[in-house]
Amino acid sequence: MNPSTDPLVWLSALLTLFIFSFLFRDNILYQFAEHLFVGISAGYLIAITWHNQMLPNLFEPLFLQGNLLYIVPLLFGLCYFARFIPKIGYLVRLPIAFMLGWGSGAIIPAIFQRDILRQTQGTLLVRDAFTSWDTGLWTVIILIGVLSVLIYFFFSKERKGILKPTANLGIIFLMLGFGASFGYTVMSRISLLIGRFQFLLGDWLGIIR
Amino acid sequence: MDFFSKLTKIPRQVIYVVIALAVMIPLIIPIGLPIRVMPKAERLYAAIDSLGARSKPVLISCDFDPQSMPELYPMLIAILRHCMARDVKIVVMALWPQGPGLAEMALTQVPTEYDKEYGKDYAFLGYKFGVTAILLGMGDNIKGVFPVDYYGTPLDSLDITKKMRNYKDLSMIVTLSAGDPGWRAWLLYAQARYHAPVGIGVTAVSAADVYPYVETGQVIGLLAGMKGASEYEILVHEGKYSEGKRTAVQGMDAQSLGHLIIMVFIIIGNIGYFATRRKK
Repeated sequence: MNPSTDPLVWLSALLTLFIFSFLFRDNILYQFAEHLFVGISAGYLIAITWHNQMLPNLFEPLFLQGNLLYIVPLLFGLCYFARFIPKIGYLVRLPIAFMLGWGSGAIIPAIFQRDILRQTQGTLLVRDAFTSWDTGLWTVIILIGVLSVLIYFFFSKERKGILKPTANLGIIFLMLGFGASFGYTVMSRISLLIGRFQFLLGDWLGIIR
Repeated sequence: MDFFSKLTKIPRQVIYVVIALAVMIPLIIPIGLPIRVMPKAERLYAAIDSLGARSKPVLISCDFDPQSMPELYPMLIAILRHCMARDVKIVVMALWPQGPGLAEMALTQVPTEYDKEYGKDYAFLGYKFGVTAILLGMGDNIKGVFPVDYYGTPLDSLDITKKMRNYKDLSMIVTLSAGDPGWRAWLLYAQARYHAPVGIGVTAVSAADVYPYVETGQVIGLLAGMKGASEYEILVHEGKYSEGKRTAVQGMDAQSLGHLIIMVFIIIGNIGYFATRRKK
């Protein structure tokens, strides 16, 4: 055992233990660590946004370099604050309309490409998918899964005849998907715990290398 | 209360202690359980392994925060080691405000292991807010979005970024992503719109969401959670690119034992549930 002599490591370890203490019950040490985290996060975000965004992208070009074109984004940005003054509150619609229009134009074609065209292509039984027996089998399973889940979410016709077993098959595929997601979530949470224990046992106490 | 009823009412503190021990003990006394490298990780490794000193730079985006460090930071270290051992040039950036601190920490460690020079072998662009504008802008002109690097040096004066214009001047993009903005945005703008090759490292929570994109070939390769990080560490180690510390590999025994304990608790809970239900 070779405990760290770095006071920052000790501070970090104590804050970790304060947060872990919530597992027993809510207490003042946990609340202290939680409030400290929220405060530091907010302060950090404000500082980094100012230095990385506001200063180089607006204030320096406008006020130091005298580029008057930047008055337009400044005014647009200020319109967001109009919400606090009821008389001119409608001005907030200007930047929101701009963002919605620009954002939709930029995002919709890309989403269509990423999530619909390429995903539909990936579901088709093309010759390349059957280069080996296992990839061919998985391609067929994916196709059956996609079709049965789509039928499960098709509500315009009563589930009778072939639709009923197909929709039930869709439920099985959905449950397998949820199970995989849950398994990965457990894996993720255990990983976070491992990370903290690696810090406590390694960096702090020096038990592991 | 009979035995089966007790099984459904195990105090949560007991479960916490058992899981803590299951995670802690293998960290102190490693078991050395085998780790199988999955094809998705192999594909990302092979893509980077095919690059060399004459290749265009690899862009690594650190889209994560300290909370997801145990899963994504080992990936960052392993990929940096792989690239630097192969003399592949690297440009690092972040879409998360907490990303630059973590990226800088890695960039103070790994380049010294391989004697790499800032500006010539690697560059650090830092963080920018506004993912859509950033990623679309980079497709047009990277220096328009990042006129200066993280330290305020103009990109025109760095060897590595001097001639860089847009995604076409990159070999590939690797996003290490803990959520949004992250892999979805990179696929949406850099891959779907500009056809840039994208590799992804994600926290295990997001892994199931990325799978469909790997199957269609929209993603070069995938590293999923700490397991993915350990797979990449193994590949880099087996490729004789690094003898450095492998934190994800170190954690995998604890990961497996943790999963085992959770499975045992799920089975115990279900036995108790079905046994008590039958009595009712």
